[in-house]
Amino acid sequence: MTPYFYKSPVLTLDNVSMEFAGEPILRDISAQVLDVCRPGMNQGQVVGFYGRSGMGKSVLCRIMAGLMAPSSGTVLVGQKQHAVAPGAVGFVQQQYPLFNHRTLHDNLLVAAARKYPDAAEARRLADSYLERFQLAAHRKKYPAHLSGGQRQRAAIAQQLLCSDHLILLDEPFSGLDVAMIDEVKKIILEVTTMDELNTVVIVSHDIQTTTALADRLWLLGQERDASGQLVPGATISPQHQYNLAEMGLAWHENVEAEPEFNRFVEYLKDEIRQSA
Amino acid sequence: MKELFSPNGRPPRTTFALMIAAQGALLLLLWLLYPLRLFPSLGDVLRSLADMVTTQGLIQELWASMSTALQALGAATVVALLISYLTALPFFRPLAYAASKMRYLTLTGLTFFMALMVSSGHEVKLSVLIFATTVYLVTGMTSVILTTTQQEMDHARTLGLGEWRSFCEVVVLGKLDEMLEVVRQNFAIIWTMITLVETLYQSEGGIGLLLYKQNRYLHLDGVVAIQLVILAAGAAQDYLFGLLRRVFFPYSELAAVR
Repeated sequence: MTPYFYKSPVLTLDNVSMEFAGEPILRDISAQVLDVCRPGMNQGQVVGFYGRSGMGKSVLCRIMAGLMAPSSGTVLVGQKQHAVAPGAVGFVQQQYPLFNHRTLHDNLLVAAARKYPDAAEARRLADSYLERFQLAAHRKKYPAHLSGGQRQRAAIAQQLLCSDHLILLDEPFSGLDVAMIDEVKKIILEVTTMDELNTVVIVSHDIQTTTALADRLWLLGQERDASGQLVPGATISPQHQYNLAEMGLAWHENVEAEPEFNRFVEYLKDEIRQSA
Repeated sequence: MKELFSPNGRPPRTTFALMIAAQGALLLLLWLLYPLRLFPSLGDVLRSLADMVTTQGLIQELWASMSTALQALGAATVVALLISYLTALPFFRPLAYAASKMRYLTLTGLTFFMALMVSSGHEVKLSVLIFATTVYLVTGMTSVILTTTQQEMDHARTLGLGEWRSFCEVVVLGKLDEMLEVVRQNFAIIWTMITLVETLYQSEGGIGLLLYKQNRYLHLDGVVAIQLVILAAGAAQDYLFGLLRRVFFPYSELAAVR
C-alpha cells in the first residue's frame, strides 16, 4: 500500500442542509476533505461526491462554491478554514462556461488579474497555462470556435488561475465518449500534479470513473426511516463515506482493470440501488 | 434548386444570389406589366424622383431627416442603456418597467407637453423622437438583459469578480453586440415617426415633410419615390449596423445557425 498521511483540512461541510419552499433538498451533510501527503510525491488529491440524477448535486456544488448560502450548516475552505465565499473555490460548471466575448487568452487574463495584479505576471501565468493545457495554438480563438474538450480545459485553466488550490468539477464526465473521458482524467491528474495543495472535487453520477480517480468518496443518497419510508432530502450516511486510500484502491495507474476495484464498484452500485 | 424548398436548406451562395435576383426581376416585371394600375408606373416614379432631386432638394431633405434621426437615436440609445443597466438595482426596476409600457402611449398628446418643456421646434421634434425611441429600446434592451443565465453570473462570480464587475463582464460587455442589434431593429421606428414630427414643425423641412406634401396633393408617384428612398436608406443603415457588428463584435455570429 502507498504510504500516506493526512494534514490539515482543505474543505469542510458541517451539517449542511438546503430547503427550497419548505422542501428539503439536502439534509445534514457532513464531510471533510483533508490534505493528503505521500512521501516523495508532489501531488494533490482527488475526492468524489457521487449522487444520482436529481439528488441535488448541482445545489451542493453551488453551496460548496459559495454561490448559495445553505439553509443551515457551514462550509469552510482553505488551510485557514474560513467560510466559503464566491471566488474562494474554483468551480467548473457542467457546460464549461467562458466569456464568449473574449478570446481564450483574454478569458485566462481576466481570471489571472484577480490574483496577480501585476499585468506582466498575469500574462506570463496565462501563457504558461495555455501551454500546459495544450491550448496555446488556440489563444486568439473565441470560445465558440473551441471544441468541447478545449472548452473544458480552458474552463479548468481559468478557474485554476484564480482559485486557491481547491477546484470543483460538476459532472465532468457527463455526455463524453470514452476517449474524452480519458482526456478529462488526464487533465484532472495534471491539475493535481501542478501543486501539492491542489484538490479536485468531482461531483458526478459516473460512479466508475469517479471512484477510479478519487482517494475519498462520498455517496449522496436518501435514507429510510424505521418504517422503510424514504426520508426527504439527500444526505451522506456514515456507511457511505469511503477512504479509497485506506482500502488500497487509490493512486493506481490502471485501477479500473483490477478485480478488487470492480468488486467495489459493484458493491457501490448495490448500495445506490438500495437507497433508490 | 431543390435546396431552395427544403426546410432549413442551405443552398450554395451563387444559387441563393440568383434566386434573389430572379425574385427582384419578377417584382419589377409585375410592376411594369400588371394591368391594374394600383401603383404609379416605374417610369413615373423615376421621373418624379429625378424631379424631386433637382427641384425640391430631396437629397438635402433626406440628409436633414437622417441627421435628426441619428441625433435622436444616439441620445435615445444612451438613455435606454442607462435605464436598462440600472435594472441591476431593484430600486430602478419600476422605472424600466414604466418606460417599457410607455410605448403604448400615442404621441399626439405628448407633443403638446414637449412643446411646453422645450424652447425650439427642433428640440420638440428631437425630444418626441427620443422619447418614442427610448421606450422601444428599453423594451428590447431589458429583454436582452433578462436572457442572462444563472450559469453566466455564477461563472463570473467564481472568478472572484464582485457583483458590479460580474454584471459589467456578463451583461454590459457580454451583451453589447445584442444591444447593438436592438438599436438596429428599433432605428426603423424613427423613420415611421419622422413624418409625424416633421409635419408638426415644418420650418426645418425633412423627407417626412416632403412625403406629407406629396401625399396631400395626391402625387402618388412622388409618394412611392420617397418611400423607395426611405427603404433604400433603411437597407443601407441595416447593412452598416451589420458591418459594425462584424467589425466590433466578431464573436457575435460564430455560434449562429447559418
